[in-house]
Amino acid sequence: MSTSTTRTIADILLPPEAIPVVPPRTLVKEALEKMSASKLGLACIVDDDGRLIGLFTDGDLRRLLLRSQKPLSALFADDIIDHARREFSSVRADTSIDDALNLLQEREIFDLPVLDEGGHLQGLIHLHPALRALLGE
Amino acid sequence: MIPKIIKVGGGDVAEVQIGGTLPLAFLGGPCAIETRAHALEMAERIGEVCVGLDIPWVYKSCYDKDCRSSENSFHGIGMDAGLDILAEVRSAYKIPVVSDFSDAAWAARTAETVDLLQIPAYLCRQTHVLKAAGETGKPLHVKKGQFMSPWNMKNSVRKIEATGNEQILLTDRGTFFGYNMLINDYRNFPIMLETGYPVCFDATHSVQMPTSMGNVSGGQREFIPHLVRAAAGAGINALFMEVHDNPNEALSDPNTQLDIRYLKNILAQAKAMHAARQELLEEWGEDRVHLDD
Repeated sequence: MSTSTTRTIADILLPPEAIPVVPPRTLVKEALEKMSASKLGLACIVDDDGRLIGLFTDGDLRRLLLRSQKPLSALFADDIIDHARREFSSVRADTSIDDALNLLQEREIFDLPVLDEGGHLQGLIHLHPALRALLGE
Repeated sequence: MIPKIIKVGGGDVAEVQIGGTLPLAFLGGPCAIETRAHALEMAERIGEVCVGLDIPWVYKSCYDKDCRSSENSFHGIGMDAGLDILAEVRSAYKIPVVSDFSDAAWAARTAETVDLLQIPAYLCRQTHVLKAAGETGKPLHVKKGQFMSPWNMKNSVRKIEATGNEQILLTDRGTFFGYNMLINDYRNFPIMLETGYPVCFDATHSVQMPTSMGNVSGGQREFIPHLVRAAAGAGINALFMEVHDNPNEALSDPNTQLDIRYLKNILAQAKAMHAARQELLEEWGEDRVHLDD
């Protein structure tokens, strides 16, 4: 088995079908349902061409709930893109696992979207599979 | 979001554009089509008022009143007879017409005649009805159900958009406030505008007291002027009112239709309030008082 220093994140990538990928006009409620079903704490918002245009995380939801004065039923009916973060960290598929882990640690985040040169979503690096790779399983 | 403009009519009849910063449009006419002669007379008289005030307008009347309180109430003149009369009104006065339908199977036939197809408030979340309306390709006038929150109208919009139809006008006609009573929440306009589609205020149904008289709906039409001025100031793109030359004898909604002798008064004020709001926004900038996220 190769070590984490020689493997790239392509080896531990969660493919798009395994993560919550939603179009921008998805209702907040629907995005939360997809996040829960996938057991991941974020939703990746992509445009019609598959480019990642926003992220919405459990932390974003927490901050939104503390800030918003809307009735919950109105908040549920908002478009997810209206509450998504437009600036986020990302990596390429040829990034090493060590570099990806360093980035997760630096930014104190659990997930890193993997994009190609055009910004299209290739998958997601999630902390736990990355740790398993680091520990050599 | 860039506000959408919907286009009603055109071709053989006047084109009425609704939305954005365009002048206020009016949708009006008798609640129900009563007779051919009455429909033509009302179209002529309402038209005179609208032309005199330079207000673009769409003639409204319905051939089937499926939501009447009682089995014994006038149910409507019927689809074929009613659409023939609407076609004649349309042709005689070169004005677009709007009528509603209560059964998905009626959508296509109704859309052959009308320029704007109306979805009744009670049916505003019925998927078959919305899809059938959307598939006609005609501009749609969707009344917000009295039971619906304004933000949940987005679901109705999305059902229509799924058919490829993006010509939608959303209307507030009051919200249930307990039993037999409606109230107007003017937050509904900016909230429904967030869909991108223009919004309309139905003044005469807003003063309705649904089935408050046992087998018929009551209403307090004395509040119409107050609600119209407030709605025009709150930010609407169109005003809807049912208008009759003898409301007390009207075959439908006798307690809420506006007597035509007051139409000019109300429309002139609505137009002025609408224009004043636009001028204020131009002078002071768009409303933005909430904290940035």
